[in-house]
Amino acid sequence: MVVVEIPIGPQHPALHEPIMLKVRAEGEEVVEVSVNTGYNHRGVEKLLEKNSWVRGMYIADRVCGICNAVHMQTYVQGVEKLMDIEPPPRANYIRTLVMELERIHSHMLVVAVMAEVIGFDTLFMMIMRDRERVMYLKELVTGNRVHADIHMLGGVKRDIDEAKRDKILKELGVIEERIKHYKKVFETDYTIVKRLSEAGIIKRSEALRLSIVGPTLRASGIKSDVRSDDPYAAYPEVPFNVISRDEGDSWARMMVRLEEALESVNMVRYIVEKIPQGPAIPKAIPRAAKPGEVISRVEAPRGELLYHIISIGGANPYRVKIRTPSFLNILNTEKVYIGHRLADVPVIFVSYDPCISCTERVVVIDEKNGKKTYMSMRDLAKVRVE
Amino acid sequence: MRLAIFGEVLANLFRKPVTLKYPVAREVRVAPGFRGKHYADLMKCIGCSLCAVDCPANAIAMDKLPQPLKHNQRGIFPVVDYGKCVYCYQCVFVCPVKAYIVTEVFEMADYTTGTSRDLSLSTVKGGGSV
Repeated sequence: MVVVEIPIGPQHPALHEPIMLKVRAEGEEVVEVSVNTGYNHRGVEKLLEKNSWVRGMYIADRVCGICNAVHMQTYVQGVEKLMDIEPPPRANYIRTLVMELERIHSHMLVVAVMAEVIGFDTLFMMIMRDRERVMYLKELVTGNRVHADIHMLGGVKRDIDEAKRDKILKELGVIEERIKHYKKVFETDYTIVKRLSEAGIIKRSEALRLSIVGPTLRASGIKSDVRSDDPYAAYPEVPFNVISRDEGDSWARMMVRLEEALESVNMVRYIVEKIPQGPAIPKAIPRAAKPGEVISRVEAPRGELLYHIISIGGANPYRVKIRTPSFLNILNTEKVYIGHRLADVPVIFVSYDPCISCTERVVVIDEKNGKKTYMSMRDLAKVRVE
Repeated sequence: MRLAIFGEVLANLFRKPVTLKYPVAREVRVAPGFRGKHYADLMKCIGCSLCAVDCPANAIAMDKLPQPLKHNQRGIFPVVDYGKCVYCYQCVFVCPVKAYIVTEVFEMADYTTGTSRDLSLSTVKGGGSV
């Protein structure tokens, strides 16, 4: 049979992200997929080198729109380590509160997008409607529904009071009930179960070999979570369960996310009830870091997020390397699509919860020859402007 | 239950629409403490330029005061370019004299309103002091 190459993306109704999947199909069956990136590169790592430690916080925050607080947390906790600062316990609790609210809305978003991709637009609208409640809570705590910007070197920029606490607890009740309902829908709805189960199975051993991270890894039966493996912020004190499932298919990934969102609701409840008293807002902003390098990692909604920060002293970082979870989950899973139907490609892709804005890396395109080269770390160091 | 979604659809038939008729009806709710339009109170500002130094979007430019103010020895004040501003409120946080006036205004699509210059200058009371 003739093999046809079908480009899916970078602008496509079924893919919400600027990425291209070159799908080669034999009839309806996928025989090869190659992932093509490079449509959304913004040079964030270079920007971080050019700006001061304080400005860098806001640049790191803008790496991703959905998971911005975790990017800021990873950057800030790394820089705090370089500067020998310990944030007060109350500040750690507020940071964790914002990150968990973010996890709830991020997981609700991907579940909604999955509903849309499989043609359930009503369900998409309903989940997005209820997600707005979480966005409102984030706005209440931080001042903006998308970009939290609440971290500050040595603490947070805003505190929470009794009125905010009561409002959060009241809204959480509704949010929990709705997520439970959607979980039931995903568990019992005939169409959803039929469509998602056995699509894109990643076995336990394969997940480890491909370095998959986050809910995608946990859906393959491996209990790995930075929040419990290497606790940061207030996670050592906040009780929670690491959710995992053994199926390893797209349905399991969605269920892991829904269950994690429920777990996060309980964590937020615990945090606002047990938040320690004391100062949270730092009085002075530290400006200079001592020479050294640090690796800082955080469990983002999509998986392990890692920052490698190098300082040679002074007001700016020397180098900030960002490794985002989607980088591993999207680029390493090209083989998973093989053997599936063409219509399953968007379902499998969305089940990884892709986030391309944080995944883009340097690619050089020679327009004359149409050649494309990816630059390695060593090549980048050579062209670095001192 | 094979189609759990059906109950939900039925319940929604009798509910008020969630969609807001913005901008025909201005019913958008913003949480208290929303980070909106902000400008410097010139009766407090000392012209230290810390906000301009820390601004990650380079949205703040220090401009000359049209008239001298006793507490502002440098004679400069910050002008926020709302088109560039990312509303991170680092300027509000870093200000040593808490000179920034914060509002919850988010409707800033306009032909004219570009900077905080007029708003800041309107805070000068009694024509200032020499």
